[in-house]
Amino acid sequence: MTVLGYLANGLVFSSIIVLGSIGLSLVYSIADFANFAHGDTMTIGAYSALVTFGAVGGLGGAVLGLPYGFFVALVVGIAVAAVVAVATEKLIYEPLDVDSIGLLITSIGIAFIYRAVIQIRFGSDFTRFDVQPLRPIEALVPYGVRITLHDVAIFGSAVVLVVGLHVLLQYTDLGRKMRAMADNPDLARVSGIRTKRVKLWTWVIGAGLAGAGGVFLGLFNQLAPRMGFNLLLVIFAAVILGGIGSVYGAMAGGFLIGMINQLTPFFSNVVEALPIRPNWLATVIENMITIEYANAIAFVIMVVVLLVRPNGIAGEAAT
Amino acid sequence: MSLLDDPKAAFADLSRPEGWVLGVSVAFLLFLFVAMLTGALGPTYFLFLVGLAGMYALLSFGLNAQWGFTGLINFSVAAFFGIGAYGTALMTASGSPIAGGFSPIVGLAVALVVALALALLIGIPTLRLRADYLAIASLGLAEVVRLIVLNERWLTNGSAGLRGIPGFFDGWPVLSTFPEAMPGLRLVVIPGSPVILETAFWQAALNVLLVLAFAGAAYFVLRRAHRSPWGRVLRTIRSDEDLARALGKNTYSFKMQSFILGSLIMALAGVFYAHLNLYVGPGDLDPITTFYAWVAVILGGSGSNRGALFGGIVIVTIREGTRFLNDVALPIDPAPLRLLLIGVVIVAVMRYRPQGVLPPQRELIWPSAVDGGGTPETPDSGVRERKGGGDDE
Repeated sequence: MTVLGYLANGLVFSSIIVLGSIGLSLVYSIADFANFAHGDTMTIGAYSALVTFGAVGGLGGAVLGLPYGFFVALVVGIAVAAVVAVATEKLIYEPLDVDSIGLLITSIGIAFIYRAVIQIRFGSDFTRFDVQPLRPIEALVPYGVRITLHDVAIFGSAVVLVVGLHVLLQYTDLGRKMRAMADNPDLARVSGIRTKRVKLWTWVIGAGLAGAGGVFLGLFNQLAPRMGFNLLLVIFAAVILGGIGSVYGAMAGGFLIGMINQLTPFFSNVVEALPIRPNWLATVIENMITIEYANAIAFVIMVVVLLVRPNGIAGEAAT
Repeated sequence: MSLLDDPKAAFADLSRPEGWVLGVSVAFLLFLFVAMLTGALGPTYFLFLVGLAGMYALLSFGLNAQWGFTGLINFSVAAFFGIGAYGTALMTASGSPIAGGFSPIVGLAVALVVALALALLIGIPTLRLRADYLAIASLGLAEVVRLIVLNERWLTNGSAGLRGIPGFFDGWPVLSTFPEAMPGLRLVVIPGSPVILETAFWQAALNVLLVLAFAGAAYFVLRRAHRSPWGRVLRTIRSDEDLARALGKNTYSFKMQSFILGSLIMALAGVFYAHLNLYVGPGDLDPITTFYAWVAVILGGSGSNRGALFGGIVIVTIREGTRFLNDVALPIDPAPLRLLLIGVVIVAVMRYRPQGVLPPQRELIWPSAVDGGGTPETPDSGVRERKGGGDDE
């Protein structure tokens, strides 16, 4: 594959990571804890879409190689993820009388419950959406880019969602309140913002985007009960790289981590071409930069960012 | 005020949850004992369960030294457990790609050294971080360790894992032949269902002995450490790190010491596991082990050693009980059922009893402060009079 090919793959994978990391970052800043159930919220979205798609089927026409029914399923996936997240917030998180570390630990329990329910219902095996697998787009193959119309659909939908969120944050009342609350919750409350309601909307938006990310992840790879949990740390890496609490930082971080993840094989080619001495060092580096370690590289980046710039690329200098 | 001196007072002294836990535990033990006598539960399997409970208790002792004492959120328990298991397995197993064939004592030493190195490797970057960042970063680094174990075939045999690990007491003077030397016993308590004690039973008994030795050693080291001035600094760091720093303590260094101490105990659990299971694979580094240990600690009560033991027993009940439940009552795959129970336990504890079932009541207090009768004595006269200051006028 050429550089262009890796970049195109990176763009598609980044779309999924961005959708996941925005929600995680929103919840981190407004509900004030690291939500370990976020990855499994993505899984919920994916499996709800799987069930819906199985029920509604194709529904006539198709866009970008995806039948209309798939978009219905996508909307249902988003809605179910949001409803589940709001119900969890109302039933579990809100009545808790613990600090943010207690909430973090609770969210691990929630993550296990989500995953267990899915696994009891669907088993632990991989499944796929019942859509025709497509060939790569012919016109792009000569450039070494092997992406399908489905990948274009993932990227396009993600762009629509991200632009929609941007408009919401910048030009609506709710968006302004959310930004105010992320900035300083106490000040927001004394200014007369109904912080509880804003918090609820944050859960809806964050979990909805996660649900969409889950559906796309299922389309990009496969569905499995562990899919979201496996991606969770990569998403944390993206959020931390971008700067926790900053939505635009999460977008940038998600984009970068997604790109780095898919570009790993390309980097290993680059390393091979570099004149690294001594030889054993070159061998070690080549062994470390392989596709098996793509996630590990993201985690190491995360730790390095936490050490040198804990507020991320978009965060303020210091708190 | 120990149980031997005055049993009645010792029982009256128990708080309500303590009484409940004691009652349920005794009932549970009786149930297991009856099941064993009727032949429903093999004695060898029972000893295996005891060993497993001891192993989880050991893991939660280790986590207690980090989270309970110092407040470090370590989500890389599985990595230390796995490294402990791999450390001894790589040295002793016949299928080891690098060494193999050494005595388990060498394996134990190597496992501890490797765990120490890993603790430094994970601790140096992460222990400066804020609590929630520490959680995420340590989970990430544990995953890095798991990926390395999974992919570096030349070192760890990759996904095939390591086979041919000897029992821990192989090569010891008496103990290595102890199971074979013991006679097979056949006890008939209830006619028709004899309880048979054979070589496998004596082997399991040795394993229990080993875990008891490990857990006992860990317990006494931890109790001593916790009551020492060193432990007091850790407690201060846990409740207010800035205060500890203001008092001139190098908190980073203390955190590192506590992290290393806990990690070594987790590695001990791994060593025991390798010689119990006789096989280790990359699956043993799965994050679920980390969360098992966490459930044991938060359920038992952070900082409480009795709680750690109780948590370990509950984890084994969940782990093995789901298998049993699947055979008897519910036709649900045990894996998700186990996950569901773990999740429910975490949420329920955080919801209804965030301090844990058996929170440390006296363990955290300097013993001499308690032995004096519980409440501090009320002075008859004011401090000023006693100091001889008298009245100013």
